[in-house]
Amino acid sequence: MTRARIREGDARAFEQLYDEFARSVYGYALRLTGDWSTAEDVMSLTFLEAWRLRERVDHDGGSLRPWLLGIATNVARNTRRASRRYHDALARLPPGDDASDFADELVERMDDKERVTALRRAYGSLRRPEQEVIALVAGSGLSYAEAAEALGTSVGTVKSRLSRARKKLKRAAGPERTWPQEYEPITREA
Amino acid sequence: MNANERANLARALPPGRELPERREQQIKDFVMAEIHRSAEPARPRLRLPRPMLVLPVAAAAMALVIAFGLGLGGAPAYAITLLDDGTIHVTLNEIRDADGLEADLRDLGVNAVVDYVPDGQRCSPQPRSTDLLPQEEARLGVWPPPQNPAGDGFTIDPAVVGPGQTAVIELSISDDERIASIWARVSNGPVAACELVVDPDHHLGPAPQS
Repeated sequence: MTRARIREGDARAFEQLYDEFARSVYGYALRLTGDWSTAEDVMSLTFLEAWRLRERVDHDGGSLRPWLLGIATNVARNTRRASRRYHDALARLPPGDDASDFADELVERMDDKERVTALRRAYGSLRRPEQEVIALVAGSGLSYAEAAEALGTSVGTVKSRLSRARKKLKRAAGPERTWPQEYEPITREA
Repeated sequence: MNANERANLARALPPGRELPERREQQIKDFVMAEIHRSAEPARPRLRLPRPMLVLPVAAAAMALVIAFGLGLGGAPAYAITLLDDGTIHVTLNEIRDADGLEADLRDLGVNAVVDYVPDGQRCSPQPRSTDLLPQEEARLGVWPPPQNPAGDGFTIDPAVVGPGQTAVIELSISDDERIASIWARVSNGPVAACELVVDPDHHLGPAPQS
């Protein structure tokens, strides 16, 4: 029903879509970009792109969150190109509040600061597709099938990217009791 | 993947930050305004006198165009249209004559204060009333418009403005003199006059709480 209304250009349905998923899109964008201001731009551009591409929504399917996060993935990959399309519109977006980067504060609260720092550094050095799959599955809580839908790829590819990424992170983080010794198999989801 | 594995992986991600509620609403207003804008036909640079532009287009869709704000040169700054469902649509042709618009709305039984806020400025003081009703209680701005009026404008629901109450409407105006966003609330008490002050953040209404 919602899918059909959005396909037809029902602005009220689209508003509801925003209400439901804005925070999810923002959280995902923040994990990909690491910068709250850029994440706000990615979020805005994602919904503008979603409206532009609304006719591509399939009639059938479940939550539209994977579709939105897929758009967010593309926007974050090339924010500059997306910004060009909406250059005039973005000029009308009021700037957000200034906010200090509290990443250090959060890290300080953790008892294993060095290890988390190493993990994040390792995450930053991952290939972009590997970062995306971790942000979708671990950060946004998508299933493998939903992550595959968001990335426009297969479940097998999602699993293999995730497996590679986890091995790299494991190497970077070193042994630690809370880190699983064995990451495979990942078989309980489609 | 079990919850423990997800949690461990998530620790590698950059830390999150809750998007402040008001900022979320601000971006929503922006997105919906852009969507509305994208649905409009391209506007000619030369603005025609409003009666010629509005009436033929809108006659079939709207109940009644009842007022035009006429400027010194005779060109209408705005048109007020009563829609079938009782809401009021205001079409802005030029960003001027807010006083005339307020007077015309008052004639319709809506006590309103309307302010145009250019980019890079805001109304001061904020909040302009000590008793603003939350949007959930009195949804003054109607989005999307119940009908599809032509031109740049906004729609309000006069039914949510009771006796003794005031509709407070702040309109963000872009450099090309179009409505970028709207902030509309109902006040139970008196409303302070809007003094425009410089504000790079360009907030409408009270500043967001981060």
